[in-house]
Amino acid sequence: MDYTNLRRQIISMKKSLFDQGYLDEQFNQLEELQDDSSPNFVEEVVALFFKDSSRLLTNIEQALEKYPQDFYRLDSLVHQFKGSGSSIGALRMKNECSMFKAHCNDRNLEGCRRSLQKMKREHATLKQKLETYFHLLRQVGPPERAVNSWK
Amino acid sequence: MASMNQRSAPRALVVEDIKVDCMILMHMLHKLNCEAIAVENGKEAVDLFLEGKTFDIVFSDKDMPIMSGPEAVAKIRAMGATEVKIVGVSADFGGQEAFMHAGADVFLPKPVKLETLESMLKVVISKKNKSS
Repeated sequence: MDYTNLRRQIISMKKSLFDQGYLDEQFNQLEELQDDSSPNFVEEVVALFFKDSSRLLTNIEQALEKYPQDFYRLDSLVHQFKGSGSSIGALRMKNECSMFKAHCNDRNLEGCRRSLQKMKREHATLKQKLETYFHLLRQVGPPERAVNSWK
Repeated sequence: MASMNQRSAPRALVVEDIKVDCMILMHMLHKLNCEAIAVENGKEAVDLFLEGKTFDIVFSDKDMPIMSGPEAVAKIRAMGATEVKIVGVSADFGGQEAFMHAGADVFLPKPVKLETLESMLKVVISKKNKSS
């Protein structure tokens, strides 16, 4: 296996994720927390994020379709989403959540709906990109079990 | 990073409903050789104190189901638990006033940095060693 080339791919991919605004410094902070006693920590945190955030997106979508809309509940749900997204360094998603919250504040239902669609797209894109990133990492890292709980 | 004195390992309580945030904070505390447990809302935290459990430091999120962080902090202080260091943690900067009014010692914005936790725990350990 060409580890040099793999490592180069990993570095390039990570740089791209930062340059395109998908991730911010908080992701680096998470990676710094990883050590020999918890070699899969970042992947486990990210897997947990995608598991929880998928549920939250469903709840947000359901809350949007209820009538009358409960903008307080919507804001609370997106606040949770934004919070956990910030914790893993998901910058684009965090920004889109801020947009959603602003629409909630204005009681702008259509704005909320558009924001939700963007959040879902960002969510899916980031999930796919990080899945690829961790897949590459596993190929160069120690022979650890892969975390598939976020599929 | 400098490891904490195992003999006086601080006992921490994490009050957090968001699993990702809880996982990260617990990991940081374990990395800093802290004995930490977690609960999901303010009521569970208050119940622990009512059961007579003691902690050196409490990290509490602000917005949680059943009982919020500031409400739990106020109840914990009202019980007479004045020695425990209570840290309010929130992504909402407006939470600082609520926490401090409730009796928290300090407010930390999310995401919490490991270095900040380490500094805080050193103070707690130092105080714990002086009193023992």
